[in-house]
Amino acid sequence: MAWTKKYEPRSLRDFVNQKDAVEKFLVWVKSWKPGNKAMLFYGPPGVGKTALVRAYAYENKLDLIEMNASDFRTAKKINEIFGSAMRQRSLWHRGKIFLIDEVDGICKEDVGAINAILKIIQQSHYPVVLTANDIWNPKLSVIRNYSIPVQFKKLSVWDIVKRLEYICQKEGIKVEKSVLRELASRSQGDLRAAINDLEVVGRGKKEITQKDLQVLGFRDKETEIFDALKMIFKTKSPMAAKLAIINVDRDPQEIFWWIEQNVANEYEKPEEIAKAYEALSKADLFRRWITIRQNWRFLVYMMDLMTAGVATAKKEMYRKFTRYEYPQRIKMMSLTKSSREKLKQILKILSEHLHCSTKTVLEEYLPFFKLFIKDPNFKKSLYKILDREQIEFLGLNKQ
Amino acid sequence: MVELEVWAEKYRPKKFDEVIDQEHVVERLKAFVKEKNIPHLLFAGPAGTGKTTCAFVIARELYGDNWHQNVLELNASDARGIDVIRYQVKEFARTKAIGEIPFKIIILDEADALTTDAQQALRRTMEDYTRTTRFILICNYSSKIIDPIQSRCAVFRFRAHSEQAMKKFIERIAKKEKLEITPDGEKAIMDIAEGDLRRVANLLQAAAAISKKIDEELVYEVASLAKPKDVKEMIELALKGDFKGARQRLYDMIIKQGLAGEDIIKQIHKEVYKLDVPDEAKVKLVEKVGEYEFRIAEGGDPLIQLTALLAQFLLLKKNMKT
Repeated sequence: MAWTKKYEPRSLRDFVNQKDAVEKFLVWVKSWKPGNKAMLFYGPPGVGKTALVRAYAYENKLDLIEMNASDFRTAKKINEIFGSAMRQRSLWHRGKIFLIDEVDGICKEDVGAINAILKIIQQSHYPVVLTANDIWNPKLSVIRNYSIPVQFKKLSVWDIVKRLEYICQKEGIKVEKSVLRELASRSQGDLRAAINDLEVVGRGKKEITQKDLQVLGFRDKETEIFDALKMIFKTKSPMAAKLAIINVDRDPQEIFWWIEQNVANEYEKPEEIAKAYEALSKADLFRRWITIRQNWRFLVYMMDLMTAGVATAKKEMYRKFTRYEYPQRIKMMSLTKSSREKLKQILKILSEHLHCSTKTVLEEYLPFFKLFIKDPNFKKSLYKILDREQIEFLGLNKQ
Repeated sequence: MVELEVWAEKYRPKKFDEVIDQEHVVERLKAFVKEKNIPHLLFAGPAGTGKTTCAFVIARELYGDNWHQNVLELNASDARGIDVIRYQVKEFARTKAIGEIPFKIIILDEADALTTDAQQALRRTMEDYTRTTRFILICNYSSKIIDPIQSRCAVFRFRAHSEQAMKKFIERIAKKEKLEITPDGEKAIMDIAEGDLRRVANLLQAAAAISKKIDEELVYEVASLAKPKDVKEMIELALKGDFKGARQRLYDMIIKQGLAGEDIIKQIHKEVYKLDVPDEAKVKLVEKVGEYEFRIAEGGDPLIQLTALLAQFLLLKKNMKT
């Protein structure tokens, strides 16, 4: 069984976040009477629209009559499924709930499908829930009049990490929180995508490390950031540059590193690079003030400087194609984390022998070690203190 | 414990009589030890002048060969926060000293790395355990230690070693290691070491690893080999207009080698005066270096702030051409 299925919430207690939506849904469903409006769940994929209805049905032992609107072909098909179910009582007197998934997936050619849905809403003896990604789709204008819209928000990294952690625990997989955090953040608030990714890297394994994430391709959301970079680097208008990142659903700090990485790829004149970096330097200070003062007001200045500040640093737009790079900062941080750990460990051992701080070891002693090592006595004693791998790490085995 | 064959350790004095220079300090410390009681001590002075050594000598004189059991060595720049220090002190102070001396010694090196708040907490810790422990605080600048701590300690100032003192140390090592050092070689070592005996020992050991006969040329060669050139090369790349190359060097230094932003910028500051640019430009650059060091001190991200500084060097190249 796929993990998305296996770990689908079976009760509202397992349900991840969406407190507002859940509350509205419960009030509605408990007081629902025939003739009432339907409920229209809308929001991005993978945030729990369908899962909420399923969990509720499961918990309250209701028959869930489910239909995916992408499958709608004709009104006839709709009536086939719902027509009888609407009127008949369940065999064991169980209640029912209707779910019409992805109503914005109905094509224009599905003549009558919308009307059929309206008929179901109006005549049903049981509550009807519709789901959609894009509520403003013109196809849904009529349906909007017969339903109460309820928004589902993107899930936070924290929400997703919590759920992934739970799954790993159940599957007996050892994993570092940073790995889960990366999985969560690349999913962009889509829990289903995150669980799918987790299954790709974790199925049948005892442990997941940073390295395992390399097999995952980027989801197409990656294009978002490239478009934003293109906008910032090609425009001279501060306003346009500011707007460029509005729809990029990433942490401002991450966007910052994307921009920083590519300044020197786009700009060629020294004064432009210097000016752009001056803006980034100040944006970074605002970032710092946000964190120490917990004053989020400063965020607007950080964002303005890193977008408009960088955009207006150029004299003229470069009419060239620039291949924007993935931020080295983010890449190196995860790649070299283990090597920095290794270095730290070595420095700690040496600092105990040399009775000084690790910093002194790094600055005053290590540079000399590559010369000391020519002395057999030193070499012999070093091999007693550090293991072969550590000495290789310091590059002292070649001397 | 296995001894690492490092001369700075091998020739670290074990008795007061072996301590070079610093007579003013040693005389008074001897008096304390004779009474088998010491107050809290604060040793201040530049690197390689014998602060840690004197702390060890005191411990050895008081406790004899078992001194390790009664001494806790801490380094404030490595201990993560004052809570860690307090916890270690508490654990250590819980048991009685072994032997006739009724107290244990805690050596806290680089105490000036502690923030003012942390020092306040340290002061309370010192008071809490004052019956069973003595602190020896070591720092470069006593001005960075808060007054309440200074007032609880006997403060000793260590001076940078004179040429004579360095000479004495060089000769001591040369005799034991059977080295032949020319007068100009000796002079070169003293010039480079600037009164820091740790550096003297390191230079000698590095030179000796290449040849037992040490002259001026060898000393300078060794010194330049051991000196990290990354910063210099990084600046040169930026000045040549290779901004991306310079940025890459910076990333390697900070992320791969784990160097601190503050240390890199200090080196940049030193390098500015050696650059082949007009004097006016040097002053301008120094101003920029100061500005970005300020931003790092304010909590700015060292990578971004230093990259921005590199962009200023890049700019200089452009201005020089026009």
